[in-house]
Amino acid sequence: MENTSKLSEVLPFLPQHFQSMIKKLPWEILNSMEEIRLRQGKPLMVVCSRNDYFVSGQGLPVTAPHQGYSVTEDDLRNAVQLVCNFSFYSVEEELKNGFVTISGGHRVGICGKTILENGRIKTIRDISFLNYRIARQVLGAADPVISHVIRSPGLIYNTLILSPPQCGKTTILRDLVRQLSNGIGHSFAGCKVGLVDERSEIAAASFGIPKNDVGVRTDVLDSCPKAEGIIMMIRSMSPDIIATDEIGKAEDADAVVAAVNAGVKLVTTIHGSGMEDFFRKQDLKRLHTQVFERYIILSRRQGPGTIEAVMDGDCGQVGGGNDT
Amino acid sequence: MILKLFGGLLVVAATGGLGFLFSYRYSSRPRELRSFRRLLQMLETEIVYGATPLPHALVSIAGRLQGSYSIFLEYTSQLLSKRTYSSVREAWVNAVETILGKTALTGPDRELLKSFGNVLGCSDREDQQKHFSLLYIQLKQQEDAAEEERKRNARMCKSLGVLFGAAVFILFV
Repeated sequence: MENTSKLSEVLPFLPQHFQSMIKKLPWEILNSMEEIRLRQGKPLMVVCSRNDYFVSGQGLPVTAPHQGYSVTEDDLRNAVQLVCNFSFYSVEEELKNGFVTISGGHRVGICGKTILENGRIKTIRDISFLNYRIARQVLGAADPVISHVIRSPGLIYNTLILSPPQCGKTTILRDLVRQLSNGIGHSFAGCKVGLVDERSEIAAASFGIPKNDVGVRTDVLDSCPKAEGIIMMIRSMSPDIIATDEIGKAEDADAVVAAVNAGVKLVTTIHGSGMEDFFRKQDLKRLHTQVFERYIILSRRQGPGTIEAVMDGDCGQVGGGNDT
Repeated sequence: MILKLFGGLLVVAATGGLGFLFSYRYSSRPRELRSFRRLLQMLETEIVYGATPLPHALVSIAGRLQGSYSIFLEYTSQLLSKRTYSSVREAWVNAVETILGKTALTGPDRELLKSFGNVLGCSDREDQQKHFSLLYIQLKQQEDAAEEERKRNARMCKSLGVLFGAAVFILFV
């Protein structure tokens, strides 16, 4: 039920005939749907947690590509207009990152022809690929790892979550934030959490108000660049913990170090499938040693959110794998 | 005699009034075109400098205007936010036909406005600005033509009305 209600937040951003096709799909597919993909001249596709299906014009799931409804240029043009609320000009900045966040915190990935100006991406034209990603809040997603993150009833470890895309990184982070902010019975008293939500994905704030449950002691700085946001948070909101998503740039690393030196604990995520990927990122060199005390590695081996390993600061395994 | 004079005056007043009515039509078109241009300038500011999403921009301008243009903007914004159509073009064309059909704008004027629906909101700010500038030039041409027409016809209508009344009076008395 939870997922279908999330799906109904995404549907209005699709052209009308797509909406009716998707609504006719069987309940199991609707319930496990993670992505809706539009590619010009190719069949409409939905991706579920285990399989992907093409969707026929009658709204039936099919496996042969030629039976699927072929997405036209007009469909894509209309879909783009709906996604950007009929105002392409208002999402210029977001397009430079290749996606637009729609209300409800769902992300729509965009591909097409990029236009460069002075070597930097100016905009994307001739958009011919769209990917609607249905973000869901899974309460309790962080349960298997929370005990590894907590150090004592008022303190946590600096934690880095590593995972390839689509493995539940943001979902786990969101639930960690919620639990650390609310407190967990006797084992952890709630802490003040400063959430720097650059892509509006974690809290899904709309007009500044979080639409997802991120806890009672959480302050959200919405759509703020991470590096500046972390510093702002430290100065203004006196957080015990700062949470942020997908660090990657050198200035992010500097801000993280500044936060750690200010005595603030940190929970953040990064793209990668293992520790090697993290150590290969030269921009994050400053973070490679003595910053993080816990690494959580995710995969989708047994569905999204599979915990591969939990490691301490010296890369010694402390949990995860088959024992969770 | 007095009765005749009175009747005659009535005839002249009636035809004269009719003349004024026609001339009013001629003079409203350039005025309406001018105020539509002003409306577009406000919209341009909202889009280019404010990057306000279109449905919000339309409503906020509607609040600053009166009459059918205000209704036009309000209506377009509603069509967009209710997602009745999947594109700005369809919503815009529908609104032009439904609301602006009752104004003094002519068919070609409305066609020009409708074609703007193809580009409104569909590109980045720089590009939007160019489209606006182009539309201003086209609207200005329509406006000049309408002004020309008004000068030619408005006075003629007025004097024709009065003269026709006078002719009737002379003929029948």
